[in-house]
Amino acid sequence: MRITGHHPLWRIAAAVLGGYAFTWGFIALGMAAFFSLGMPFHDAEHLTAIIGFLIYLVLFLWAFAARSLARVWAVTAGGAAVMAGAASLIQHQLT
Amino acid sequence: MFQSFRLSMAWLHTWFGLTLGFVLMVVFFFGALSVFDREIDRWAVPQSRFEPQPMPSFDKILRPVFEQMQPTQEAITEMAPRVNGPMPQTYGTVERMGAYTTHRDPVLELFIGFDVPNAKDPEEAIWAYRTIDPRNGASLPDDRLKIGSEFFYPLHYSLNLHWLDIGYWIVGSAAMVMLAALVSGVVMHRKIFREFFTFRPAKTAQRSVLDLHNLTGVVALPFHFFFAFTGLVIFAGIYFPVGHTQLDPLHQVSEQLEAAETGLPHDRAGVAAPIASVDAMVTEAQRRWHDKGMAGEVGFLVLQHVGDANGYVSVYRAGTDRIALTGEGIHFKASTGEVLREDPAPGFVDNLNEFLSGLHLQHFRHWLLRWLYVLGGLAGCACIATGFIFFVEKRKRQHAKQGIQGARLVDALAVTTVTGMVVAALGMLIANKLLPDSLPAGWPPRGDLEQYAFWATWLLAFIHALARSGPVAAGLLSPAWAEQCRAIAVLAPLAVLLNWIITGDHLLRTLSVLYWPVAGLDLCLLFSAGVALLAAAKLKRRALAAPAINNAKTGAAHA
Repeated sequence: MRITGHHPLWRIAAAVLGGYAFTWGFIALGMAAFFSLGMPFHDAEHLTAIIGFLIYLVLFLWAFAARSLARVWAVTAGGAAVMAGAASLIQHQLT
Repeated sequence: MFQSFRLSMAWLHTWFGLTLGFVLMVVFFFGALSVFDREIDRWAVPQSRFEPQPMPSFDKILRPVFEQMQPTQEAITEMAPRVNGPMPQTYGTVERMGAYTTHRDPVLELFIGFDVPNAKDPEEAIWAYRTIDPRNGASLPDDRLKIGSEFFYPLHYSLNLHWLDIGYWIVGSAAMVMLAALVSGVVMHRKIFREFFTFRPAKTAQRSVLDLHNLTGVVALPFHFFFAFTGLVIFAGIYFPVGHTQLDPLHQVSEQLEAAETGLPHDRAGVAAPIASVDAMVTEAQRRWHDKGMAGEVGFLVLQHVGDANGYVSVYRAGTDRIALTGEGIHFKASTGEVLREDPAPGFVDNLNEFLSGLHLQHFRHWLLRWLYVLGGLAGCACIATGFIFFVEKRKRQHAKQGIQGARLVDALAVTTVTGMVVAALGMLIANKLLPDSLPAGWPPRGDLEQYAFWATWLLAFIHALARSGPVAAGLLSPAWAEQCRAIAVLAPLAVLLNWIITGDHLLRTLSVLYWPVAGLDLCLLFSAGVALLAAAKLKRRALAAPAINNAKTGAAHA
C-alpha cells in the first residue's frame, strides 16, 4: 500500500496532529491574552481549555469533510504557528 | 477522498468508532461502576462496613496518627533516582498533610508529604498514606485494595497505565473520538426524531442491532456528549500542559502575584512554630459557612508547611448540597489560629468550570441522579457494543465468502470488551474474597494479587473469545458470546456466595439493616447473573435458528 497524498493517513494526521497544534496555539494565545487583560491565570487556563476542546472537535470533523487537504494543513499548522508565536510574544512583554 | 460530507462522516464514524470503541467500552463501563466506587469499596474491604463518618477531630484523632506516619520502603526506593546522594530512612519535615472525605466514606484516608533533602526537584515531596477508622483512629491494614475507588475508578480515566501517562492519553483520544462519533452519527442519520421510537427486535440481527445502536445513541446523546466533553476538560492540564511548558514563565509570575494577593506563604520561613488547635479553626470555619447558609461538613482539611512559622491550615467544605465542585476554603495561620484568608466567591469562569467538573464527578448528594448516571453509562456501553455487532453483522457473510478474518477478529474483541470485561471484574471480586486475610511472607501485596486476577481473567476471556471465534469466519454466530454469558451467570452469584461465607454479610442480614453498599452490590451481581442467563438463552435460540438461514457451505473451509 503506497501512501500518496490521497491516503486516509494524511487526513487522520491532519485531524489529530493539525487539530491538536491549532488548539494548542489557541489555548496559549487565549491564556496569554486573557491574563494580560487582567483575568486570573487559572481562569484563563480553564476558559480557553473549555473552548479549545470544542475547536478541536470542529477541526477534527472538518479535516475529514474538507475537499482540499492542503487547506486543512495550511489553516491548522499555519494558525498554530501564528497563535503560539503571538502567545510567546505577549509572555515576553509581561515577564 | 470522499464523495460527500455524509460519506466522510460515515467513514470517520465507522473506523474511529471501531478502533477506539474498545477503549470507550472500558471507560463507560467502569465509569458507570465508579458512580458507586465507595460502595464497592465497602464490599471489598469488610473492615470498612459501617456508616459514613464526618471528618474527625484533628487534635484528638488525626494528629497522633500523622505523627506516626513514615513513607514505605517502596516509596523510598522509588524516589531514590530523583535524589542526589543517599535517601534518609526517616523523615521529619512535613511539607503538607491532610485528609479528604465525602458523605459516602466510613473510613478516612490520610496523606502526608515530607521534604526530601537534596531532591533534584526541591518542590518534590515523598508521600505516605494511611486509612483509618475515624471513630477511634485505628489503622486499617494497608494492603487492602479499595477496588472501587482505587482500581475501577482510575481504570475509568487512566486504564491504570501510568507509564508516561499513556493511559490518560488513550482515554483522552477515545473521548475526542466519542465527540466526533456523536456528531458524525447525527449527520449520518437524518431521521433523528424517528429513531427515538424505532426498535424492531423481530427483524434481522443487523437491522435490530442498528435500531438499538441509534436508540441508545440518540436517547442519551446529551449525556454522552456532556461526559466525554467534561472528562476532557477535567484533565485539560494533562492534554494541553501549556501553563507548565510554553507559558511556564507567565505561570510563575502569576503564582507570585497570587501568593502576594492571598497572603498564604509559598515557602517555609525556617523558624519552628507549634500548631494551635485545629479543631478550633474548623469550628470557626463552620461558623462562617453557617452564616452564609451552607451545610457545614468538612470535606478536605490540609496543613501546609507543618511546624513552621509560615505554616497554615486550609479547611474546605464538603459540597454535598450543590453541583459545582466548590470548597469555600478558609485559611488559618497554623501557629495562632487567626484567619489569613477566606476564598472569595468564584467568578464566572470558576463557576463554569466547577459546574462542568462537578456535574461529572458528582460529589453532591442525590441518589436518584446517581442511578441515572449508571443508566447513562450502561446506555453508552449498549450503544458502543451494538456498534461493534452491527459492524460484524454487516460484513461477516461477505468476509466469509472472501476468506477475510476482519469480522472474526472484531467479533472476538467485542466479546472480550463486552462480556469479557464483566467476567474480569467478577474474577477480581472473587479473588478479593478467596485470598487469605494474611498472605505468606514473600508474596506480593494482597491488592496487587487482586489486580493480577483482574488482568489474568480478562486475558483468559480474550483467549477464549479468539479460540471460539471460528464460526464467525463462516458467517455464523460465535459461541463465545453465550459461553461468557454463562460464565457471568455462574461467577456473579459465586461472588455473592463468597461474600456471605467469608464476611457473614448475606443479603437477608444486609437488607434487614438496610446496609445498601453491600446489599446493593450483591443485588446488582444477582441481577447481572439473571440478565446473562436470559442473554445466553436467547443466543442459543438464535444459534439454533441460524444455520437454516445461512448457507453454511460458504467459508466453512476457513473456520
